[in-house]
Amino acid sequence: MATSEKEVVERGALAHPDLHRLDDVNRDVLRALKTPGKGWWILFGVAATGVGLFLGAWLLIQVPYGIGVAGLTSPVGWGVYITTFVFWVGIAHSGTLISAILFLFRAPWRQSIYRAAEAMTVFAVMTAGLFPLIHVGRLWHAYWLIPYPNSRFLWPNFKSPLVWDVFAITTYFTVSATFFFIGCIPDIAAARDRATGLRKKFYQLISLGWQGTDSQWHHFGNAYVFLAALATPLVLSVHSVVSWDFAMSIVPGWHTTIFAPYFVAGAIFSGIAMVITLVVPMRKIFGLEAYLTTKHFDAMAKLMLLTSLIVFYAYLSEFFLAWYSGEEIERTAFWNRVFGNYWWASWIMLTCNGLVPIMLWFKRVRHSIPALFVITIFVNIGMWFERYVIVVVSLSHEYEPFAWGLYRPSIVEMTILLGSFCWFGFWFLLFTRLLPPVAIQELKEVMPPPMRRKKSLEAHG
Amino acid sequence: MSRDLAERADGILRRDFLKVVGVTGAGATLTGCSTQDVEKLLPYVVAPEEITPGVATWYTTVCGGCAAECGMWVRTREGRAVKVEGNPSHPVSQGGICSRGHATLQHLYNPDRFHGPMIREGAVFRQGTWDEAERLLAARLRRARNPQNVVDGGDVLLMTGHTGPTMSRLLDEFVAALGGLRVDYDAVSDAPLLEAARIAYGVSSIPRYDIGAARLLVSFGYDFIDTGASPVEHNKGLARMSAVNDEEGSKGRFVFLGPRLSLTGLNADEWIPIRPGSEAAVALGIASAIAGPDAAGPYASLLQAYSPASAAEAAGVSEEAIMALAERFRSEGASLALGPGVGAHHRNATAANLAVMILNHVAGNVGRTVHYDTVSSAAANPMAEMQGAIAAMAAGDIGVAIVHGANPAYSLPAAAGFLAAFERVPFKVSFSSAMDETAALADLVLPDRHFLEAWGDSMPRPGVMAIQQPVMSAVPMFDSKQAGDVLLAVLALNGTAQASATFYEYLRSAHMAMHDAAMGDFEAMWREALRTGSVTHAMPAAAAPELRAPDRALAFDTPAFDGSGDLTLVVHPSSRFAGGEFANSPWMQELPDPVSKIVWHSWLEINPVTAEARGLRNGDLVSVTSPHGAVEVPLWLYPGIREDVVALAMGAGHTSMGRYADGHGVNALDLLPASAEQPSGAMVTLATTVTVEATGRGMRLATVDGSAGDQHDRPIAPAVQFALLGQEPAAEEEHEELMELQGGGGFIPVPAEDGSPASFPLEGSRYGMYADAHEGPRWAMAIDLDKCTGCSACVTACQAENNVPWTGEDQVRMGRDMMWIRIERYYEHVDATQASDLDVRFLPMLCQHCNNAPCEPVCPVFATYHTPEGVNAQIYNRCVGTRYCANNCPYKVRVFNWYRYTDAIPEPLNWQWNPDVTVRDNGVMEKCSFCMQRIREAENRAALEDRRPVRDGEVVPACEQSCPAEAIVFGNIRDPNARVTQVVASERTYRVLDVVINTQPAVNYLRKVTFHEVEAGHV
Repeated sequence: MATSEKEVVERGALAHPDLHRLDDVNRDVLRALKTPGKGWWILFGVAATGVGLFLGAWLLIQVPYGIGVAGLTSPVGWGVYITTFVFWVGIAHSGTLISAILFLFRAPWRQSIYRAAEAMTVFAVMTAGLFPLIHVGRLWHAYWLIPYPNSRFLWPNFKSPLVWDVFAITTYFTVSATFFFIGCIPDIAAARDRATGLRKKFYQLISLGWQGTDSQWHHFGNAYVFLAALATPLVLSVHSVVSWDFAMSIVPGWHTTIFAPYFVAGAIFSGIAMVITLVVPMRKIFGLEAYLTTKHFDAMAKLMLLTSLIVFYAYLSEFFLAWYSGEEIERTAFWNRVFGNYWWASWIMLTCNGLVPIMLWFKRVRHSIPALFVITIFVNIGMWFERYVIVVVSLSHEYEPFAWGLYRPSIVEMTILLGSFCWFGFWFLLFTRLLPPVAIQELKEVMPPPMRRKKSLEAHG
Repeated sequence: MSRDLAERADGILRRDFLKVVGVTGAGATLTGCSTQDVEKLLPYVVAPEEITPGVATWYTTVCGGCAAECGMWVRTREGRAVKVEGNPSHPVSQGGICSRGHATLQHLYNPDRFHGPMIREGAVFRQGTWDEAERLLAARLRRARNPQNVVDGGDVLLMTGHTGPTMSRLLDEFVAALGGLRVDYDAVSDAPLLEAARIAYGVSSIPRYDIGAARLLVSFGYDFIDTGASPVEHNKGLARMSAVNDEEGSKGRFVFLGPRLSLTGLNADEWIPIRPGSEAAVALGIASAIAGPDAAGPYASLLQAYSPASAAEAAGVSEEAIMALAERFRSEGASLALGPGVGAHHRNATAANLAVMILNHVAGNVGRTVHYDTVSSAAANPMAEMQGAIAAMAAGDIGVAIVHGANPAYSLPAAAGFLAAFERVPFKVSFSSAMDETAALADLVLPDRHFLEAWGDSMPRPGVMAIQQPVMSAVPMFDSKQAGDVLLAVLALNGTAQASATFYEYLRSAHMAMHDAAMGDFEAMWREALRTGSVTHAMPAAAAPELRAPDRALAFDTPAFDGSGDLTLVVHPSSRFAGGEFANSPWMQELPDPVSKIVWHSWLEINPVTAEARGLRNGDLVSVTSPHGAVEVPLWLYPGIREDVVALAMGAGHTSMGRYADGHGVNALDLLPASAEQPSGAMVTLATTVTVEATGRGMRLATVDGSAGDQHDRPIAPAVQFALLGQEPAAEEEHEELMELQGGGGFIPVPAEDGSPASFPLEGSRYGMYADAHEGPRWAMAIDLDKCTGCSACVTACQAENNVPWTGEDQVRMGRDMMWIRIERYYEHVDATQASDLDVRFLPMLCQHCNNAPCEPVCPVFATYHTPEGVNAQIYNRCVGTRYCANNCPYKVRVFNWYRYTDAIPEPLNWQWNPDVTVRDNGVMEKCSFCMQRIREAENRAALEDRRPVRDGEVVPACEQSCPAEAIVFGNIRDPNARVTQVVASERTYRVLDVVINTQPAVNYLRKVTFHEVEAGHV
């Protein structure tokens, strides 16, 4: 954290022009925790309703009646649920990328968004983690995937990628939640110092006795670096493991060695897009325009452009290799992808993920926040459809022509899909009310030295 | 076959002999037959001696499902029938049973059966007692016959369907005692064939065909393996006829002539798509070509009037095709021509049948492949007689109408006016055991017993007699009584008592009277009949009857069809419902039709070219209009039908038959005229043209066929040309790379040194990923696609054996059928425009029990794993329901319980469940287990009997047991002498997709053999 001011500024960390005292930062950021605006309540109401529908559709309809309320069928045994699972796991990636990897690479422009990105990670993994549970036929036996000592001496099958998945997701959730929480501690303490009543008690409890002593800062710094180092390989490993859910199978369209890097790039692509989608309104609502400038958006847009190119390259190489393999069944699967019953899904994918991001080559687009917002919406949709194409279209058109079939998502599935956004939003909105959405301590790091404060005070008269 | 039978007799028959023998003495009365009043269901305070809880008891009986009267074994558990199987010792059906035979079990446990005698009170029925009901019937009969009664008096009319010979005699006696009239009626009848046999040979029985002995088989549109007179027997015959005879190096050829390919047609080697109604002209054209200009005999002049050219003209096909077929008749040795069947009962159907008989005569087949038994039974004239009965009812001449074993309110065209006439009868009685369209109109319903609860007999052919014995006490919740007992009781009440008080005594005394003392003790014969299921009397060898000149003028030309529509309508019996009597069975409703693969709803078959010309697509709802009626039905595009023909199956569209039948599909008879073919009097099914118009609406067909019959050149159902058999198979060369890979892969094989059984399967290939640590058997299956006819009996057999639930039309439409075995049907070459080679492949697809099973490593909880015996096992209570295994199964044979489907199964349909097989819960995966419970049963029995190993042929999965074509063989592939090992050693053996993904299945298929060249890529 010992970076020279010049470096910091060069790398994009900006001090807020209106904030001149460390106190101002506290006040400004913590203000967001105090006054829930009308907009927040409306959003929260929508999210809470959505969560109700989500849980109702799942626990009151699907669990008692059976997974048949979903549109799943033979041969398409995985559908919207797994699509959405992979989608949310993908979203979860950029948070860690922004906070951990960029931290390790000393890219300080991350400072104003990393808290939100980390929160997004945690909530996205929480959302993603529900989907395997929603998806299984017998929810009440899902714990059998966890290796635990039992009287029947039954162990999960460690050959199965689904068991790897359990480990990957739980590990990722544990590490990202810890990383998020540790990073929050000094800020929670700051909030504690301003809060009163019940809120104060709550912050007292979770700030774990933070006093801001040198020794605490020292340990905090070490812990943060350590966790960042721990989280970094997970960014690569988790989505690799998720991709192996598919790649380890023999389904044409799934069984591909390119899947691990392709999924990781896709995850970062969709994650960055989701960060932008979320940060743009947040910036408005919390008045953080000064912290999140076009420079930051430009950087994120470039990353998005890079990952878009990787992903698009992966699409093309899949098609090329399907043709180049000479394997008729593989070729048919990919032909079916773009010209079969689900052609529209594939073309949405190709358009949103490959063609729309071409606009990011233009600086004007990268510097236009509304344009970026629109593009990221396209990317979010495109990345959801990418998973839909991989999961559904591949399954619908496998080896045995007689058993080919179509899948149509049901109302319950669509409710749960939309409900998952509400579930995510529900936690995210709570987060913005309960924890400082922007990292106070890191903002302070880039504050101008105290002597300049005088000058600017003078300037203001 | 005789060798097979002998082998089986060694293993299976002996066991069943011991079990079956239990019924002969006290067993018969203890299990409750019709001699007793209906028993109350009591717990086993004192257990019946012959019932061991947990051990099945087997009884032989006769299938009452149709007039074929196949032999049956019925497995009972704790006094309930749970499964029917074919009786291999029955001389006619010789083992195997059709899917409809299995479904008779659902009629036994039909939840819509009457709970007791029903007496009409106003608009509703009241349940009465048997005593009350019998007295009511007796009183009404007396009243009707009272000459003073001018209000509601009149004759007694008895309308009957198929019954056994003794029951039929009793019905005759009943009618005679009352001075009434009896009419036999069934929409699906062989009347034109019978009439033709009478005209040509003076015999009044259906000709007996030895299909297996023919080298050239020609069917004039006769669907003999599916809806014909004896489907199981003929299916077996077709499979034997067309199988490659390795010793002679020969294979029979099957040519199908007709406007539409039925299931039978799909099995042909060649299809000549003749115009509907042109059968007689074609048969006579061929016969004239065979006989040449100097034809002699009573039909010489007729033959001279026809020629191949005139036949080609009438049929709309090339003369060369007719000439080529005639040439085959001359050159192929034993030949056989069949048909036309019910689907071609046009107004000259008797003449067409006669023409085919003449063809057989000219080709020298009489006495060789066709046998005319000279027995005399009254020639029926069903439709014509029924029309007379309707006229009598309409005129008010009938005082009491009694219906037994028939459902004329459904199975007559609406135009026949049956409903209005029946309404006029003052007192209407039905013996139907469950509600149907006729019983719904009755004043009194006397629910008959199901044949599995009742006594009866059958005479499927002269010299063969089989006793139908009750295999269980009557289902207690249905207070039913055997119709024979009721008739005898009513006769007694009216003072015309017979010698026998019960039908059981009546039956025994009838057989005692027929019994020839020279054959030994009657009781011994009776016991033997019950034990083995049949008794065969030696028949004196009758000289082949002489062809006679016709005693009436017959028109052999294509008849005129009603109306001016541009498409001719073919109405044919349904594979699943026959004439409609099987429609209330959910097994039959959900069995994919062997031809269309559609379930639950009706469909109109139309050629894709015709449909395209009219802008119609699959699933479009069309209104079909004939001069006699109209129906709305979805279209199904079928390449196996002429472009100027559409077809609709009978049997659907019920209005009051029960919860599974009502509201599904349309009744094809609504489009037909109420006319009788002359002179046989059969209902005409091919009589009208229709117009087909789009309604603008459409639906997704409830089909299980995902690729419209196209196998996309994949190595799924390959074939080999007959001429290339014995040569080095090209397939091996193609997959050299794979063989190399497998050889070096550690877990796979070294190529076989020779083709001997002992060297198959290839060393090391048997165990796939799994270590060869087990000394026991290695279970494997072989399916001969050259024998498989796609009849789908195995599908229903599997459903019955393994408690596979049905899911309903909407679920199947989504793709959620639960079948553990399905018959894939792929068109390779189907041309409806000209005579050409036909190539349609059927492939029974079940769990392949791969040795490198893709489903096993992906299951996170080991719910699916490989047993040391080579079976891919599924542990239902360990399954979490991730469905990864199903995704990773290249064969897509795993089915998932999307709901708790079994919840929807009402009492007492669930009594049929096999107690040896778990009923699966919501959210678990399931699939074929190779009938694990049967393997275990055989192993346990072997262990109990001297700790011997399981003998070959002792484990028979349900599919193999049912297969009329004997296409499926199961056994221990480690045993070099096992039948499965020997079959698998064939050069035709391949494993589905194995060359693509190296799954090494335990199910081995034998390629279909074609006469024509198989295209590259279709190996």
